[in-house]
Amino acid sequence: MLRPIRGGRLMGRFLRRYGTLAGFVLILIFFSVRLPGTFMTAQNWLNITQQLSMLLVVAAGMTIVMVMGDFDLSVGSMASLSGVVVAVLFSFGWPIWAAVPAALIVGLVGGLINGAMVSLVGILPFVATLATLTIFSGAAFVVSGGRTISGRAIPDAFGEFARGGMPLGPVSIPNLTLVALAVLIVTWVLLEQTTFGRRLYAIGGNIEASYLSGVPVRRLKLLAFSLTGLSAAGAGLLYASRVASANPTQGSGLMLNAIAAVFLGSTMSEQGEPRLLATVIGVLILGVLDNGLTQLSVDSYVRQILVGVIIVIAVAGSSLSKTARR
Amino acid sequence: MPLLSLRNVTKAYAGIPALRGVDLDVAAGEIHALMGENGAGKSTLIKILAGVVAPDTASISIDDRPVTIDSPADARRHGLRFIHQELSVVPALSVAENILLGRVYPRRAGVFVDWRTLNGLARDALETLGITHIDPRETMARLSLGDRMLVKISSAFLADAGAPARLYVMDEPTAALTRDESERLFKVLHGIKASGNSVLYVSHRIDEVMTLCDRATVLRDGKPIDSGLLSGITHDDLVALMIGRKVGEAYPPAGTGPSAEIAYERPGLAVRKGEIVGIAGLSGMGQTELLRSILGNPGKAWTSGIGYVPKERRSEGLVTTRPIYQNITLPHLQAHSLGGTWLTPRRERQFAQRLGEDVRLRAAGPRQIVLELSGGNQQKVVFAKALGGEPRLLLLDEPTRGVDVGAKFDLYTIIRDMTARGMAVLLVSSDLPELIGMADRIAVMRDGEITTIVSAKGLSEEALLNLCYGRSAAAA
Repeated sequence: MLRPIRGGRLMGRFLRRYGTLAGFVLILIFFSVRLPGTFMTAQNWLNITQQLSMLLVVAAGMTIVMVMGDFDLSVGSMASLSGVVVAVLFSFGWPIWAAVPAALIVGLVGGLINGAMVSLVGILPFVATLATLTIFSGAAFVVSGGRTISGRAIPDAFGEFARGGMPLGPVSIPNLTLVALAVLIVTWVLLEQTTFGRRLYAIGGNIEASYLSGVPVRRLKLLAFSLTGLSAAGAGLLYASRVASANPTQGSGLMLNAIAAVFLGSTMSEQGEPRLLATVIGVLILGVLDNGLTQLSVDSYVRQILVGVIIVIAVAGSSLSKTARR
Repeated sequence: MPLLSLRNVTKAYAGIPALRGVDLDVAAGEIHALMGENGAGKSTLIKILAGVVAPDTASISIDDRPVTIDSPADARRHGLRFIHQELSVVPALSVAENILLGRVYPRRAGVFVDWRTLNGLARDALETLGITHIDPRETMARLSLGDRMLVKISSAFLADAGAPARLYVMDEPTAALTRDESERLFKVLHGIKASGNSVLYVSHRIDEVMTLCDRATVLRDGKPIDSGLLSGITHDDLVALMIGRKVGEAYPPAGTGPSAEIAYERPGLAVRKGEIVGIAGLSGMGQTELLRSILGNPGKAWTSGIGYVPKERRSEGLVTTRPIYQNITLPHLQAHSLGGTWLTPRRERQFAQRLGEDVRLRAAGPRQIVLELSGGNQQKVVFAKALGGEPRLLLLDEPTRGVDVGAKFDLYTIIRDMTARGMAVLLVSSDLPELIGMADRIAVMRDGEITTIVSAKGLSEEALLNLCYGRSAAAA
């Protein structure tokens, strides 16, 4: 009774590695067919990347901590906080060159606090960042007085940045897209080309073995969480620039989407490790769905349900083929 | 008529064959040893039987009925019981819950767990092994390592009316057991044999296999080399079959011996260049802690010329999800990168390749994921990592535990080579012949302190054991 099962196993292997990617392609084909002339156009794609720029930046930062096997729930409220901080500083008469770095420093410090709680005190990332989620969110309300800050207070140049772009032939690459691209490149280099990234992956694989191999686990955790906080603050600034205003809840949707994108991405690696390029695919899946379904005038609540279902299918598909017999 | 019959079992991982056409027959009422070096394919074969790994091809029959085993539940139903090498227990649950893990708990009124029956079933299983000192209600985490292993083993003896046990498959069951506990297990195995059921027994302890088992099948490189009665064969013949060459000495000869120069010193302990100082003692007397305190801050230790092979290779020594070369260079990234910042993977791989050859690593290449290697080769990766910085002091904590004969000899040879180059070695081991065979001097530890240091030359195992128990070496 010889059992030829090789074919089935190869199929499983393919699905494990490329299932999510194949799903993405199917989604692209579906929308291209259903939305001829409006979906697969340069302008639509520039729109998508612009809409996604905040999420891309946050997801890049989230990938950094998730590589270590941790995560950060406070990124959304940090994005809100940095937005209102920059707006309030503007209303005090601070110039852009001073207010923007100040808001970024808030993000860095917030991330440092997360990192200190996780690595120095030893609090679980879930609990530590859940606490800072409410703290940052409360701080955003306190700083802004609970109001949306807009109008006169925001310098024109700040809002114009998000509307501007770099001309390239017939189209113009939005500045927000360019910023996101720059953040992605820097993060990719950090994770894939430096000893910092290598050590983060080692920590994520086996923290005890990494410590015994001389990896400075505590310092790296501090640094990684700080970078995540910084990226969240950066995303908050992009958001504030795009709407030329700031309110204390505008970043709140980012956290869940960022974690979802990293999870979607990690289904593409054999070991289930988060990888930056995979995270980008994850973000694109979420963004393309949003864009295409909106164009098809699918109700936004139904959209939410669909996005949730797709995340479950992707992650379930990948973990099923992993837990299936090797 | 064989109880279990396997024909043409093949399996390849990522294109690398682990089993190439294995045939195996286990007769009813025998204890059958499955022998072979690490990487010979024993674990893969067992996992296939357990329904955990899918074979590429296989035909399996039990009591002359062809069967397919697609899941652990299938294996159970066909009367197979397993005791795996890894001690996988749930520390937070009770002993009884661990024994009945994965079974349907007895119920009261269809909903509530019937704890009394549950504990009773567990107690019966424990008593099969003659164990009465473990309370089924005790939390697993509070048990000693040996007791946990006993609990794990007794779960294989749980009564199951639906699918009576026919074959017990045991992978290194005595690894964490004391001599008394092992003896008790052997008694049970003889009982199994007498009742017409069988045992497939995997162990690296050749003496144990020679006394316990009736027949043996030897695997080498995924193929069965020989199968037959153990009565007509010597210890050395068996080892030769396993490793495919004649065995000479168990330990490679010492070189010129240590120099006079001190390589490492702390109160009560000095190690000279080229010297191997063994650390002996009963288990848990502070040997591991001594090495850890010498290591101190690992980051500083590695850069100051200390190399470390920790006790638990999977949980402390390796990032198993990463490639070989990334494991080897992990403590040496500062030196093997540009300015301590930029990775140079190609140079890392060359470095790992060279070290891999030094330790006789058998792998597809430096990019292979460590997870895919056999236990002995994984340990060689840990060695390569420890040697990568050309340390002046090498700390080894049970470096050959769970490693087969051939790989063991390789590791000993590496240690000898390193001392010949002037490296100082601290070797913690619970294997007394290993300490006597390898060390120049042996320090004996009791209650966290070094109580005495003796020369290993001419030291008998008995004398060393006496010292470990705190008696004089000459005491009877």
